[in-house]
Amino acid sequence: MSNVVIETRQLTKEFVRGESKVVALKDANITIEKGEFVALMGPSGSGKSTLLHLIAAMDRATGGEIRVLGEDLRKLSDGDIARWRNAHVGFVFQSFNLIPVLSAWENVELPLKLTKLGKAARLDHAKKALELVGLGDRLDHTPRQLSGGQEQRVAIARAIVTDPDLILADEPTGNLDANSARDALDLLGRLNREFGKTIVMVTHDPHAAKSASKVRYLEKGELLPIGQKPEDW
Amino acid sequence: MLKHLPLIFKNTLRNKRRSILTILSIAASLCLLGFLLAIYNMFYFEGSSAEQALRLIVRNRVSLANPLARSYQGRIAQVPGVVETTIFQWFGGVYKDARDPDNFFGRFAVEPEKFLRVYPDYRVPPDQYKAFTDERSACIVGRKLAKRHDFKLGQRVTLVGDIFPVTLTLTIRGIYDSERDNENMVFHYDYLNESLTGGLKDTVSTFILRMASADDATRIAQTVDAMFRNSPLQTKTETERAFELSFLAFLGNVKAFLFSICAAITFTVLLVSGNTMAMTVRERVKEVGILKTLGFTNGKILSILLGESVLISFLGGVVGLALTVLLCTWLRTMPSTMADMSRLATPPWVLSTSLAIALVIGLVSSFFPALSASRRPIIEAMRVTD
Repeated sequence: MSNVVIETRQLTKEFVRGESKVVALKDANITIEKGEFVALMGPSGSGKSTLLHLIAAMDRATGGEIRVLGEDLRKLSDGDIARWRNAHVGFVFQSFNLIPVLSAWENVELPLKLTKLGKAARLDHAKKALELVGLGDRLDHTPRQLSGGQEQRVAIARAIVTDPDLILADEPTGNLDANSARDALDLLGRLNREFGKTIVMVTHDPHAAKSASKVRYLEKGELLPIGQKPEDW
Repeated sequence: MLKHLPLIFKNTLRNKRRSILTILSIAASLCLLGFLLAIYNMFYFEGSSAEQALRLIVRNRVSLANPLARSYQGRIAQVPGVVETTIFQWFGGVYKDARDPDNFFGRFAVEPEKFLRVYPDYRVPPDQYKAFTDERSACIVGRKLAKRHDFKLGQRVTLVGDIFPVTLTLTIRGIYDSERDNENMVFHYDYLNESLTGGLKDTVSTFILRMASADDATRIAQTVDAMFRNSPLQTKTETERAFELSFLAFLGNVKAFLFSICAAITFTVLLVSGNTMAMTVRERVKEVGILKTLGFTNGKILSILLGESVLISFLGGVVGLALTVLLCTWLRTMPSTMADMSRLATPPWVLSTSLAIALVIGLVSSFFPALSASRRPIIEAMRVTD
């Protein structure tokens, strides 16, 4: 069985703004194998988040091919994509994006509500995920009662609770202090090393990128060849 | 869907003040709507009692203001199936001060013994019955009316005539109880008739007849009306229920009036609820994006957003209908100076229709904002700032 988790060919994303066309990503070719931890880096507007969104099927490419976990994302309907994302992809955001009215375990339980698991099993899974990120004693805390670092750990627990094959992180340390950022990166590193999760992380931070096993750079919508960095970087 | 109830419930309580105000505005509207439906029910759906179904009312075909001749009674009584007839003459008149609506109540001149045979549901203690029938200037009053005016047995009551140019001094000899009416005064027709001179003497506004069987109502009504078809004072014979509804018709098209108010209330609360839901959904567009990244489909998100709106409308409906029930219960105990509210009830159809309207309001008011939010692309939704 192929070890390729993500494969793009000539992947392109264009936006139409008024009468002008903006190319956010141009002819990107990337292959990411199972168990890799890849950091996507580049200046603002380089297209790294666009690439991440296309991998997560949060957006549709305007050209090229993209296969993630063996699925040709262009051929899936919106409903199929939602179900596929729930089963195979965990997402970590810069601004945590927890639901403020729900407690930590309720936030972590949310993706499991789309599965066939019963309530007891859902609670058990959510609790284990929170224990894994070191928040077993904060189950009933709402996001408002947690620090930024703790919120991000809840978000990571939510991303892994369905045991996805792929974790996508968009600037996961962008809103964290140094200590919390280190904790979050350690956690992602553990998930990669100990649990074999494939991780793609968008970051500006060179320190954060050091957690990754591979770094790819983007500049002006183009994915640079392996080992090449943008000018002035 | 049940799995998402905690999320729906917590989202509903997210902005407590707004949710409570919305629930109260829906409750106030639904209370009014339920009340109007209860009135509609009272007017048009409240069926005749078994006793009511046995009575027919005969009046002048032209209008109630035109009298019939007293002599008709003998001929009406001869119609097969009629077991008793009584004169039932509206007196009107003024008790004390006509400007005080509390002094308004029904005053009817009847033939006491016949009247109580036509209306066996009027219960008068035997000694009071005898005192009433024996004394020409005696009257009986309903218990509710007696309570309202603190009437006592033996008390004299003076009625100054307006339709009839006489002043009657009556002595209260009995207090009756009845299932449907406890707020009228009835006295001897003979006492009134003997006081009259000229054209009003020996005239009657209505006769009430009691039948052996309610099944004969149509035949008897047609027979009576046919009997006087060629006389100068033609009759119109109808059931007691139809007679009551004819008073309602004086107000115009009451059904259309009630429906238009109900529609206006529903439309207004729809706008209020729609505005609130639009605000609620707009504030949560980013969360819609988050839910989508977790794998929630457009349909699931739509159902969650609709669920919140339906929950708010349901709570508003329940509170509103509780208020309707309280209002109707309170009005039933009130004196019927303006209208008889003693039959104002909230049967299951009134409650279920009102609640169904509340749920429809919840669904319709939030449908378009919820649909729009649920269809919004993830990237666009996630860009919305908090």
